[in-house]
This record gives sequence, C-alpha cells and structure tokens, in this order.
Amino acid sequence: MQLTECERSPGASSDARVDRRRLVAASCALLSATAAHGQEATNAVSDALSNVWHFDTALAYYHENGRVRVIEPIVNFSTTLDDGRTFSGEAVFDSLSGSSPNGALPSNKPQTFASPSGASLSSAPTTYTTSSGQLVSEPARIYTVQPGALPADPHYQDQRIAVTGTWGLPLSRLTSASVGGTVSYERDFVSLSTNAGISRDFNQKNTTLSLTLTNEFDSVHPVGGAPVPASDYALFRKTGGKTKDGLGATFGITQVMNERWISELNLSVDRFHGYLNDPYKIISVIDPTGNTTGYLYEKRPDQRVRKSIYWENRAAWGRLSMDLSTRYFADDWGVHSDTVNLHVRWWNPGRDRFLEPDVRWYRQSAARFYLPWLDSTAPQIANASSDSRLGAFHAFTYGLKYGARNTDRYDHTTSEFSVRVEYYRQIVDRRPAAPGALQNLDLYPGLQAILVQVGYKF
Amino acid sequence: MGERPASEPAVTIERRGDGFLAACFAAMASPCELLLHDVDADRAGALGEIAAREAGRIEAKYSRYRDDSVVAAIHRSRGDPAGILVDPETASLLDFARECFALSEGAFDITSGVLRRAWRFDGSARVPEADAVAALLPLVGFAKLGWQAPRLLLPIGMELDFGGLGKEYAVDRVFQLIAAETQEPFLVNFGGDLRANRATPSGPWRIGVERPESERRAAMILGLERGALTTSGDARRYLLKQGRRYGHILDPRTGWPAPGSPRSVTVAAASCVEAGLLSTLAMLQGAAAEAFLAAQGATHWILR
Repeated sequence: MQLTECERSPGASSDARVDRRRLVAASCALLSATAAHGQEATNAVSDALSNVWHFDTALAYYHENGRVRVIEPIVNFSTTLDDGRTFSGEAVFDSLSGSSPNGALPSNKPQTFASPSGASLSSAPTTYTTSSGQLVSEPARIYTVQPGALPADPHYQDQRIAVTGTWGLPLSRLTSASVGGTVSYERDFVSLSTNAGISRDFNQKNTTLSLTLTNEFDSVHPVGGAPVPASDYALFRKTGGKTKDGLGATFGITQVMNERWISELNLSVDRFHGYLNDPYKIISVIDPTGNTTGYLYEKRPDQRVRKSIYWENRAAWGRLSMDLSTRYFADDWGVHSDTVNLHVRWWNPGRDRFLEPDVRWYRQSAARFYLPWLDSTAPQIANASSDSRLGAFHAFTYGLKYGARNTDRYDHTTSEFSVRVEYYRQIVDRRPAAPGALQNLDLYPGLQAILVQVGYKF
Repeated sequence: MGERPASEPAVTIERRGDGFLAACFAAMASPCELLLHDVDADRAGALGEIAAREAGRIEAKYSRYRDDSVVAAIHRSRGDPAGILVDPETASLLDFARECFALSEGAFDITSGVLRRAWRFDGSARVPEADAVAALLPLVGFAKLGWQAPRLLLPIGMELDFGGLGKEYAVDRVFQLIAAETQEPFLVNFGGDLRANRATPSGPWRIGVERPESERRAAMILGLERGALTTSGDARRYLLKQGRRYGHILDPRTGWPAPGSPRSVTVAAASCVEAGLLSTLAMLQGAAAEAFLAAQGATHWILR
C-alpha cells in the first residue's frame, strides 16, 4: 500500500461530506508550520509555566481634604504548586499622617486638647502611673483649635503592616478547602485572624457553593492607655490594654448563568465582642447656650452583630465588560447601609489597553447611640459616640482606571500596568440644629477625598 | 543533562524479532514505541529519547490535568475580554482545529470536552439525562471562541480539549524529528495511532488491529509500507443501558453518540492528524461510516 504524501493531494469525490482536499491542506499546514517552530517553542513553555508566581503590586496615595494622608504600598502574590495546592498572600504597609478629627464639635471659642500620648491638659511634661504600676514620663503634646474649626489632632501618625497568607487545598475533583491567616500590626493595635473554608462545585461545575468561617482576636493598647468609656476627658482616666474578638461566617453561591454572565451571592454574619470603642474619640458636652462645657470619652456597646448580603454580576460582551454589585448591610447598633457599585471596562480593538470608569453610591443610617454632642442638662446616657463614621450620610465615588496589558506570546505570562484615580464625596444626612452660639458654625463638614493608585501586575 | 524533567518519560529498549529494536515509553495515557530496523541499541536509545522528550513536551503543554500547561493558562483566561496571546505552535493547532470544525460542519470540535461533565464512560449504565446534556450544548462550539491568531478569547464556562488531536499530532511530530535523524525504516506507534517512513527490507510493517473482546478472534493484520494509520473505537470506553451501547465518541452538535456506530474504524492516510480526523468523523456517521470513508477515497477497515 502506498499512501499519498502532502504534495500529491488525492482527488476527493465531489459528493464527499468532508472536503478531503481541505483536510489534507490543513494537515500539511499544521505539520509544516510546527516543524519550523516546534523545537523553538519547546523550552520557552516548559520552563516558564511550572510553579509560576504571580505578583500584583500597587502604590496608593489617599488624601482626605484638609485631613489625613495615607501612602500604601501593597504586594499580592499567588502560585500553584505541582500537587495542585495554591498559595497566595498579601503584604500591605500603610503610613498615615495628618490631622484626624477627635470627635469634638467646633466651638465659637478656641479649644485646647492633648494628643493621646499626653497625660493631662497641662503643657508641662508629666509623670503618671500606668495600671501596671510603672512610672511613665512623657512630654504632653497640646494642640489648640481655632473658633469655628473642626477639632482634629494635627499630630496624627500611624503605621500599619499587615500580612495575609492563604493555602488552597484541592480535596477532590469538585471540592477544595482553604485555610489562611492574617496578622496586622500597628503601634497601638495588633490583630490576628484565621479562616477556613470549603467549596464544592455542582451542576457540571456551573454552580459553586462555599462556606468560610473566620475567627479574629485583637489586642488594643492605645497610646497613653485605653480611656475609661464615658469618663471625663479632663480626668485622663486610662487603663491598660483591651481586647476584642470576633467570629464570622460567609456562605457564598456562584452561578455561571451563560457564557457571558456570572453571578455571585454572599451572605455574611459576624459578631464582635470586647472593647469596640475608638480610644481617641471624644464627644463635646454642650450647654443650652451653645458653650462647650467639657468632653467625655465615647462609649460604644461591647458587642456588635453584623449581617450583610452581597450580590455581584459580571458580564462581558466582546470588548466591553461590566461588573455590577450591590450590598445591603445591617448591624444591631442600628446602622443599615446600601451600596451599589458599577464598573464598566472598554478594551481597545487590539485588546491590550482598557479604560474603566466606575461609580459607587453608598448610603447609611446612623447608629442608635450616634450623637454629634451631649446635652449638659440631659441625664447620663448608656452609649454615645460622635464618630462621623457612625452617623447618617451618603457618598459618591467616581473613578477612572486606565490599564495596559502585555502578554508574552511564548510563556503566556501577562503583565499589566494601571493607573486609577478616584474622587470620593461624603454628605452628612442628619444635621440636628445646635443650640445658641453653635448655630452659625458648620458642624457637619462632610468629607472629600482623592485616591491615586499606580499598579503593576506580573 | 541534570535531572530528568517530569515531562520526559523513561525509555526502555526491547528486542523485537529479526533486526528490530523498540524504544518504549509511556505517554499520553498510552504505551508508546518507536520501532527501528537495523540500528544498534545505543542509537535506538538516542532516537527513543528524542521521541520520548517530544511526546512528553506535547503532553505537558496540552494536558488538561496540569496547572502549568498551555491549556490551563487558556482556561485561566476564561471570560477575560482581553483574551490570551498563544504561542505559534498552539496557534497552528487552533487554526487546524478551526479548519476541521468548519469542514466537518461542527462534527469535530475541540470545545466539546464540557460534555464530559454529563458523560462518564466507565462501562456502566449511567446514561445522562437529556436535560443535563442539552444544558451543556450552549457551551460547545468552536465558532463561539474568539480566535484570531495569536489572540484567543475563551468565553465563561467553555473548555478546550486537545485530546482528540494531541496523540495524532504527537505521532506526526515525532515522525518528523526521527525522519530528520535516520534514513532506516522506522515506525512510530502511540497506543495504536501510528506512522511509518518506509517498508522494511522484509516487506511492509505488519499492524494488528484488535477486535472487540467479545469476538474471541485473532487480531486483523494489515500491511503498511508508509504513511499513517489510526483507529477510533469504543472497545473499552462505552456505556451499556437496556442492551444499547453508547460509544465514547460524542457528536458535539447533539451531545450524544451517533446511533449505529461501528465498534472500530481504522483509516490510512498520509499523516496521523488527517487519518485521525477521518476515523473520528467516520464513527460519528454511525451506520453510514463505510459510505462516508468510501466517498473520501480513504483506505479503511471497519469492525462492527
């Protein structure tokens, strides 16, 4: 038997259901093309793809108008090992500086405060005794706020370093487990958390169910000690370190709706218990004429139960892709919030550049114990905080991201450079009218911030 | 040389009859051999290493089961509107797959692997529900891919599987590499897909084609001077329900095996990729397999 070689194409009969001539031509094209480059492709692919580490790095600059500035480098990494396990991690370093509102209300008179490291309102260095009986001497840092200005500690400074690691362990073709942990360290705050999860694919891998449990333990040891909640600021009653702990669960379902659309629903619940106050926040006590008579340290409940529902839809049509997510949140402090977030990404015809505008709308109601000030004539109340993050407000974020991607055609590694700019505006919704002299002051300044982020993924 | 990479199978040399040596290794879930005539054992070992390295390379590059394969990289890019840039070899395979998809009017489709989510060919009676198969069909179809060399866009939920092409392609690639090394007669055989360069001094290569076990008859012996032979069949992979046999070659257009398929189809052609496509398509013709191959002018042997 003699078989025909490429150059001598057989004559296919005209009623053939497959055009044999086309098949012979395609076979010859495949084998002659690959003969030329098969060898050259050999090394590039097998060397580059085993145990590849992917890195996602970013440098962010965040600036609140007239307040805090944050510089934050982030490194994300992930890899898949030979046995199918995955390892991913993240390291974040935050450097915060600037001025941070201390919770007091503006006044028509100058107000003097001590930075948290200070022991009293006197300007001389002082010595005080900590709970452990140690004598500590520190220079008091005093700051004075001019009439009408929002009181803020101008010496605010903090550094945070956080490291997260997660192991992914395939258990079977359809089931995988993950375990992970996070350590976050600040001068006055250490947080340790662990998590474990399991996920399983169903419905021919079109549906994934997952359950993740988290456990967190935090140690709070504020500069100068933790203030006694609801105590008089002038007395500087402070204790040693405090702790809080949290336990949470998230149930998730991801569904492939069709080849263009994927939908994800997450239900989360968690409970925190312990010292939940912001140790640096105080609250003004105002008399009926609008004069500030003093300040108390804030006091929050020692338990918080939070629940949220998150629904995200991702879809793609050709060069356009979209991500629409919405979240509803409620806790037992009385805070309810709604978030809607839309990202739209356009790729250029060559699909190596994209432009991604995004818009986010957020609204929250106030915690039941949120009070911009305390009335000096009212009886003592159980819990009170003037932290604007617990007040009622709504906010808009407008952002634009530009990205450029480069894929290596031999080893399939992709690198992506991106720049993102975001503008955030927060508007206070509930503005109780203040008495007397405070009526002409802007007590609810809201917040504006910008974020600039430069990223490089490889 | 250093340590042997995981993708390079170990080669053993066996003596086969008068003047023949076989370099044997395992790759692509099949026993593989390079049969050589009139060479010494060292030479056979060196040529066997070339064959094993190339087979291991192609297997590692196109495996569905390895996280470091090109297929895995493509699957990771799923849903990414920017797609993924593929290397020239993968681009050639995708071009070939597209051409085969077009000229077979969708009967040959490297996106049909998702059907395995419904079908498991383990000799049992677990034939899937019609609904489960129908639900997967929207995820099948080469035309739904965005493919313009070198960029590939893989929609969410879809999969690529070079399994219907990879072994035949590997035989042809190894054949080319060995042909560049020697003028002596040789034959590359990867689990029954094979290609020879020329007849041995004692005549054509003698190829045995297994009959289905139930027939208890000796293998059919074919003679091959040069060219490729591939066999498609369901001798080992099938489902049996209520006396009906469901072969493992599924029609991507329906999600079901063609009714009345032969037990096995053996086709001769110039190259393995060409013979493999013809034998696969013939299986999908069911009762019309003989007429189909006759119309192609393809030399063939069919067992029913």
